[in-house]
Amino acid sequence: MNICFLSESKLKDLMSVLFGYGRVFASTETEVTSSRSSEARIFVRELNKEYVTGYRIPGFRTFDNFKSFVLPPRAKVADYPDDKWIDIKEGKDRKVLVGLKACDLVSFAMLDKVFLDDTDFIDPFYKKRRESLILVSSDCTYSSDNCFCNLMGNYPYALKGFDINLSEIEGGYLIESGSDLGDKIIEELSLPDAKENQILERDKKRKKVLEKLQKTNSEFEKAFVRPDSLASGAFDSDAGWNLGNTCVSCSACTNVCPVCYCFTLFDREGKKKEQYERYMVWDSCQFKGFSQMAGGMNPRFSKMRQFKNRYYHKFFRFYERYKLYKCTGCGRCIDNCLGGIDMREVLSGAESQVKVK
Amino acid sequence: MENIYYPRQAKLKNIKEETPNIKTYRFKLDKKLKFKAGQFMQVTVPGVGEAPFTPSSAPGDVSEMEISIMKTGKVTDKLHDEAKVGDTLALRGPFGKGYPIDKFKGKEVLVVGGGVGLAPLRSLIYALFDRLEKVKKVHICYGAKSPADQCFKDEYREWENKEKVSVNITIDKPHPEWKGDVGLVTSLLEKDYLNKMKVDIANSYVVSCGPEVMLKFVTFKLLDVGFKPEQIYLSMNRRMNCGVGKCARCNIGPYYLCKDGPDMCYADIKDYPNVFG
Repeated sequence: MNICFLSESKLKDLMSVLFGYGRVFASTETEVTSSRSSEARIFVRELNKEYVTGYRIPGFRTFDNFKSFVLPPRAKVADYPDDKWIDIKEGKDRKVLVGLKACDLVSFAMLDKVFLDDTDFIDPFYKKRRESLILVSSDCTYSSDNCFCNLMGNYPYALKGFDINLSEIEGGYLIESGSDLGDKIIEELSLPDAKENQILERDKKRKKVLEKLQKTNSEFEKAFVRPDSLASGAFDSDAGWNLGNTCVSCSACTNVCPVCYCFTLFDREGKKKEQYERYMVWDSCQFKGFSQMAGGMNPRFSKMRQFKNRYYHKFFRFYERYKLYKCTGCGRCIDNCLGGIDMREVLSGAESQVKVK
Repeated sequence: MENIYYPRQAKLKNIKEETPNIKTYRFKLDKKLKFKAGQFMQVTVPGVGEAPFTPSSAPGDVSEMEISIMKTGKVTDKLHDEAKVGDTLALRGPFGKGYPIDKFKGKEVLVVGGGVGLAPLRSLIYALFDRLEKVKKVHICYGAKSPADQCFKDEYREWENKEKVSVNITIDKPHPEWKGDVGLVTSLLEKDYLNKMKVDIANSYVVSCGPEVMLKFVTFKLLDVGFKPEQIYLSMNRRMNCGVGKCARCNIGPYYLCKDGPDMCYADIKDYPNVFG
């Protein structure tokens, strides 16, 4: 399907078509005021059909992430012994996510590897939630100093993984379909094809954001040239990992990370007598109890081991299993770290310890 | 679609006290299931939680299984203190790959256990007994703290009486009731002792299960006396929560023990960080 032009005034038409498919959750710019300051923050919010006219898609990723739509912080995964319970059949009620950035789309592809593509054990809840999503992404129109998607082999604009992608240009958006469903939605809007100069304008805008990112991250580039996983040798000693000393094990990084998926299963008594419930809840490898075993043995007993594990999982273990870094480069962990830890600096330090053969 | 987190009901048919802190629970399953020696089950104490254990009974297509459990944490405390015959618990599994039993064809197998680590190995021992004609010899080496801490002690004689099978047992410290070997289980792997057992090192595999610190010294001893990393299989233990390679806490290197193990060939894991804790 061709790329079409969606004028600014027609964004509401697209939104109303999307409302026809299900509840709409969108990246939304909100003014956050405290006694000291007031700043614009971008959050994921459910949109109200009635108030959609003034909606604009922010040009930057959300402060929070979209992973709760596939992996909620707490989700019931079993009632036992009586299992006439949770509906894990094909979900009819769909959810439309609007304003995802390329990094958000990549995060779904990574989570899919674990919960969907591992055919030995497919997580039926993840599958249901994932398949119920309609993904409407949009290009980044600016980046922050903490963004480093380019270092992770990604771009500040989406090339795949969306149903619909929007690229902001003069007077509106270029709209592109990435699926059959996307085709159908765009057809409903009967839009004109994009003009050649509009596509050139999009490409120019994209290039500008990318160049800014490349400039921001140029000093870190050297640490990321390795074409495969961060070498195992980088983890052998604590040398090069001194930035981990300022970690306070708060788990903010794993919570805001769109691809940190580690969880724990938690059982409790149910509402009925002799009926029990099992929940999947977010866990964090930054907690001391994460790998603690009965009897006291803990392979990740120290803060440094916990700290390194997060990197080990992202840049070694995940790569060895799926040939992919488990990091989108969104920079949310840097935004939110109390210890001021910058993932790029950590990796540069670790990488400097690897003796290149 | 199957719910990978749902535990199936299992009724407690028998409870046998092995040692002051180890009991063997016999479960009647709600339907037959097939498991291989070394694969593990997630045992649910309803409302309390799950913990992973490798069955100690003979593998195969079974409608009952035994699981020997040491009292050592939240789930096992509840089990030891409150579970009684007739209670309904729940099980999930089997998970993991199991021991590479086909590799043992024509070979000698050293089964090296420590403490409650003999439980999963008992399942392997039964599997080996079932195919004794295919293996050259089975040497069972077991170390426990004291005579009172030995699991399955009423079975040793029966094991020993089998052709091709030797049973070698040691306790950590001298004890008035004990006339056998004294020393850590590694003392059974000293060169002299292996010579006494007539072990053909080049033609053997070792399978070991026990506390991680024991596995560490067993491994070093084995390497010291001439075994190669490829000949050593270790039942590695990490906290296995989901059992299906997702919750991401039971790894050694790139491997998830719940999915790729829990028995790992030492050659595959030796170069990764913190293999023995």
